[in-house]
Amino acid sequence: MSDSPTARRVSRRGLLTGGALAAGGALAGGVAVADPPWVRTASPVPVAEVGTAVEPFHGPRQAGVATEPQAHAAFVAFTLRPGTDRAALGRMLRLLSDDAARLTQGRPALADTEPELGLLPARLTVTFGFGPGFYTAAGLHAQRPPSVVDLPAFRIDRLQRRWSGGDLLLQICADDPLTVAHTQRVLVKDSRPFATVAWVQQGFRRAAGAEPGRTQRNLFGQIDGTANPRPGAALDAAVWVPDGPVWLRDGTTLVVRRISMNLETWDLLGRTDRELAVGRRLDTGAPLTGEDEHDEPDFAATGPDGLAVMPDFSHVTRSHVSDDRLKILRRPYNYDGAPNPDGHADSGLIFASYQADITRQFLPIQQRLAERDLLNEWTTPIGSAVFAIPPGCAEGGWIGQQLLD
Amino acid sequence: MSTRIRRLASSALVAALAAMTVLLAPASPAAAHNTLRAATPAPEARLSAPPAHIILEFAQRLDPAFTTIVLSDASKRKVRTSEPTVTGATGTVTVDEPLAAGSYTVAYRIVSADGHPVQGSYSFTVDEPAAGAAPAASGVAAPDAPASGVATSGGAAPDAPASPAASSSRSEGRGPWPLAVGGLVVLAAAAGVLLSRRRRRGTTA
Amino acid sequence: MPRTSVAARRRPAFLLAAATALLAAGAVGCGQSGGSSAPEPSASASGDADAGVLGIRDPWVKAADEGMTAAFGTLVNDGDADVTITAAATDVSPMELHEMTMKDGTTVMQPKQGGILVRAHSSTVLQPGGDHLMLMDLTRPVKAGDELTVTLTFADGRTQTFRAVAKPFTGAQESYAPGHGDTPGMSATPGTSASPAA
Repeated sequence: MSDSPTARRVSRRGLLTGGALAAGGALAGGVAVADPPWVRTASPVPVAEVGTAVEPFHGPRQAGVATEPQAHAAFVAFTLRPGTDRAALGRMLRLLSDDAARLTQGRPALADTEPELGLLPARLTVTFGFGPGFYTAAGLHAQRPPSVVDLPAFRIDRLQRRWSGGDLLLQICADDPLTVAHTQRVLVKDSRPFATVAWVQQGFRRAAGAEPGRTQRNLFGQIDGTANPRPGAALDAAVWVPDGPVWLRDGTTLVVRRISMNLETWDLLGRTDRELAVGRRLDTGAPLTGEDEHDEPDFAATGPDGLAVMPDFSHVTRSHVSDDRLKILRRPYNYDGAPNPDGHADSGLIFASYQADITRQFLPIQQRLAERDLLNEWTTPIGSAVFAIPPGCAEGGWIGQQLLD
Repeated sequence: MSTRIRRLASSALVAALAAMTVLLAPASPAAAHNTLRAATPAPEARLSAPPAHIILEFAQRLDPAFTTIVLSDASKRKVRTSEPTVTGATGTVTVDEPLAAGSYTVAYRIVSADGHPVQGSYSFTVDEPAAGAAPAASGVAAPDAPASGVATSGGAAPDAPASPAASSSRSEGRGPWPLAVGGLVVLAAAAGVLLSRRRRRGTTA
Repeated sequence: MPRTSVAARRRPAFLLAAATALLAAGAVGCGQSGGSSAPEPSASASGDADAGVLGIRDPWVKAADEGMTAAFGTLVNDGDADVTITAAATDVSPMELHEMTMKDGTTVMQPKQGGILVRAHSSTVLQPGGDHLMLMDLTRPVKAGDELTVTLTFADGRTQTFRAVAKPFTGAQESYAPGHGDTPGMSATPGTSASPAA
């Protein structure tokens, strides 16, 4: 379900008749199923490919990790209410899994109060993450992946509680922002008996189809994510836990960092110096030693004056990893709040990093960046959270079942 | 050479456009950028004996994590040196291999307090040892007295050493100037000078 | 990330419809079994409670701590004869069959005379604001995520059981209030004991 081209389309019939009801009709061999009031079969509306594209929900691994990043995302973190115990977590995850299973396939959620908004999935994925407190609430300390603990403090950090921590995370991604909003609404409503909302971070990339095949750009104008492991064996080795108990295997971990980007001081930096700080050309994303975005940077190359072409303080130099098993999968989204009255931007990056093991893969990179990444001059981590991403579930199952059942 | 012209131009700009400048972007951050003040060996120096150290003195404090000093020979081969030792605004590397006669290039890459990278380079030459000349008689400064051996350092303004400044990267922070130049001919000329000083893009491989 | 291939996107629609159908039939992803009673053309052959007189799609019940609540879903009759539901029962509350109707300019709820009719080769939707299965007085909380077993009795004496998942739901409250006094609010907090329902 990860790296193969798995996206499907919602069928016209499913779309027009509300999915589940259409299914009933199909199985019953042509029974005329009465349509709920939101269905208007008499007025078929042309639907673009973007809206009807479907990502699978069921499978051994959760979607939304290796899935080609959608244009819009909401990261919704919850704090479990006191008394939400293992059994309650099971009931919550059954509900949320069912919501996700339906909405991702273009069917309204059960008891959906705005069912029309559930008909266009636009490659919707809902990815579940368990924070350290989740295992505490469930009384399952021993099952928590060891690397899923709060990150150590870095000297560059200026973390705010309002963007940090969380017992449960729902990463909601789709190519349509209305789909993300409706899905967030449905999932938050079904979570309310069990949890409060800790924080929500909403982000975006370029619109679906706007720049096919391109690595995304952040609000510094940089191409961001080139060094990701390639889909396939390299990505699998970096991201997915290959073995271990059933609640770990085919899972991964997620670090969400909210990185404030100071566009005001960045403005003062000339293009050449920006490229030195990043280690890449701003236009092509090519390393300063190469021509194409995916050229391997040559850290030994020197210019006519003997200086390394890739400065040792460049972001690329500091974050570079050669071993696929030690790479991280960056799946970031931009955020762009309202400027303050002086016109100063509130912009940044929701940095989402997937890796099999945070301690082994993420931390060494983060440590090197904290020490000497020149980009730190213009960026400030203001939020941090870690989650285990449990394996996926089969049809009829639910996320977290391997752990909680 | 261009330094004086630039200063004149800058003064003229400030005088002519003082009111306008207030409305423009914050004061030019060029003022905040670090610059090389003095060097041992001095730029374009001809040394009768190889130096044991390269000592670069900057206008402002250096951050050891962001200080690079590289020595290479005429064939672009990197000469083995120590990692830079930073004391205040001075960075020093020890030359760890014997230098044959020839031309050498010192290059540095540092970061200003505001994070802007500054890099530059200059050359010096080690002469064939003159018959009978003792190494001790060379004009190379002793490591513990860097200023004494730097021809360009005494009493000079921060950007006075022409050679280092000419190749150093000061390209940033002139945002307001090109905007302000407008149609004033004399200022346009000044801007032309400024632009002519734009750093060489050594990284453009 | 590879782009989704055009070929994959152009997969024939009928396959997708079939896949959707399978998804829908397969226990709706949530461990509940309401969707598993797939319609069988010869359902009338047996009086077995689980034989599936009707297909019951997307059944759910509104979570509540006490008082009244209601169950909903879509009833599919693929048989050749009309089917009438005359009663419903659970072990957590007495139940009635209700309808919404206009009375003196307002919508009120009242017991549905003659039961709920599902015509041959047709279906009936039970939903907030429409016909529904009313739980009159809960003897214990129905918590969000619980599953409730409901038994339907038909006019010919046959019965059928299905399981409905409890959803937090605040919508369409105005539908319940008239004629029945207070509407049970949803539980705002999870129970400390997750007693299994049904």
